[in-house]
Amino acid sequence: MRLQQTMRALTIGAAFVWMSASLSGQGAAPQRPAPKPWPPTLTPDGQPDVQGSWRPVIGGTHSLDPAKSGAADFEERITGVVKPNPSRIVDPPDGHIPYQPWAAALQKELAAVYENPTKPEHIDTQTRCLVPGVPRMYYFPTFRILQPPGSVVFVWDEYHVFRVIPLDGRPHVAANVKLWMGDGRGRWEGNTLIVDTTNLNAKSRLDVVGDFFSDKAHIVERFIFVDANTMNYEATITDPDVFTRPWTMRVAQRRMPDAEMWEWACHEGERDAAHTSSKISDSDTEKK
Amino acid sequence: MRLRGVGVLHLAVALSMSQLPADAQTTGSTQASQSANIPRTRDGKPDLSGIWQGFNTANDNLLSHSASKDGPAGFGVVDGDEIPYRPEALARRQENFADRATRDTEARCYLPGVPRITYMPFPFQIVQMPDVTTVLYEYVHAIRHIYTNGSPHPRGPIEWWMGDSRGRWEGDTLVVDVVHFNADTWFDRTGNFHSEALHVVERYSLMDADHIDYEVTIEDPKVFTRPWKMRMVLYRRKEPNFQLLDYDCYAFEWEKYYPYPGL
Repeated sequence: MRLQQTMRALTIGAAFVWMSASLSGQGAAPQRPAPKPWPPTLTPDGQPDVQGSWRPVIGGTHSLDPAKSGAADFEERITGVVKPNPSRIVDPPDGHIPYQPWAAALQKELAAVYENPTKPEHIDTQTRCLVPGVPRMYYFPTFRILQPPGSVVFVWDEYHVFRVIPLDGRPHVAANVKLWMGDGRGRWEGNTLIVDTTNLNAKSRLDVVGDFFSDKAHIVERFIFVDANTMNYEATITDPDVFTRPWTMRVAQRRMPDAEMWEWACHEGERDAAHTSSKISDSDTEKK
Repeated sequence: MRLRGVGVLHLAVALSMSQLPADAQTTGSTQASQSANIPRTRDGKPDLSGIWQGFNTANDNLLSHSASKDGPAGFGVVDGDEIPYRPEALARRQENFADRATRDTEARCYLPGVPRITYMPFPFQIVQMPDVTTVLYEYVHAIRHIYTNGSPHPRGPIEWWMGDSRGRWEGDTLVVDVVHFNADTWFDRTGNFHSEALHVVERYSLMDADHIDYEVTIEDPKVFTRPWKMRMVLYRRKEPNFQLLDYDCYAFEWEKYYPYPGL
């Protein structure tokens, strides 16, 4: 039984690896990124021009602490060799998410069962093709930055999601509007874009092993452009309902060649979430 | 007033029927060039940037229809108010209608294809840059990348839900050529359909700062006897601080489990 499930996980994992490989390879022939000036030129409305494609240097959403991709986790399980990956969490200094005890218990419980799910909620949101949300979209796939006058736009092909961040200081939408990608308001300080993000529906977990926050969360994101090809993404998450203190993750990003983005349709082809375990009943059975 | 309205409609129909698909391609730009007061980008192109929405019942039914339990009455958006099905395709369309509740992939919240995404009852945002015009849709966070850098369609066969879009400017009209569709989306909820051979040409022409004349030519020799056209007005959302929200309907049935049940 266990073997069967592992094989299923293997198949799905392999499918994901294949999908991402083929997707990223599909666009126009890869070109070296044209050298971008640094310090950056300014867009017509005075923003530092950081447009183009970006991607995490180390991608993966298996876990934040340690930073690990699904593929890396898979390799560890096959080889038995655990690699020392640092945590993505840079504050608190111990690299651990400062959960309140009840929240830590929930996460630990999930981390113990994700391989052999028995309930619908054991299956990661990403496996179900649900929008990974903020900040999760910033630690696995390539994204494109567009800077039309007055805003910064982030576009991903994976999960076909986007964010439009206005820079005009307008207020957030009403508190009872909850959004998969939250509601971001931005401003530039030098070459750092600071985005205040609220209205998160918090349905997307932070990783496969069940890290999470609630819909009371408030995130301050810093896109720190270090040179023409390097950016550090930092997200400071405050949620008094779940954590004992605010905490910060950091994800190094690098500029990528400007490849075309091609269609990514996950939900439309989704057949496997319900097959990851034969033990799941409830409404999460074969539906399609 | 009513009579006058009918007259205009007849004139529009007569005009559209007299046009071959090829010469129809000049219509949009002619109209747009009559409007001097349209916003323009720094490179002098009409600036389509902003949040738009089609306020009509095309997603319910492309053709003129009465009110029913399926929705409000509405004007048709198809030239001549008729879709030129091949006989065998018409039979399929009738079957679709009978089984519309289960056959329409909108019910499963799939990417709805082009042009249907334009007239889904949700706003969308156009982000126009010199090399690519990106269209962001509130409905399922759909995105289209309309490359306007002269690049060709990738070599097929490819079957995408939203097709592959390549744009070019003809005068003041953005002309978007879309191919590489699958055969799984419909044009509306009544079962109007196409095959994977669908070829769509969209024409976006600003009528003034806040209205786009949106004209679409549909070509699919496997399903239709000739190309046909639909046309509608897209309206700029003018509410202060208006922005796209989200409608990820495929997630509704799972939301109760996340981030954890009861939380």
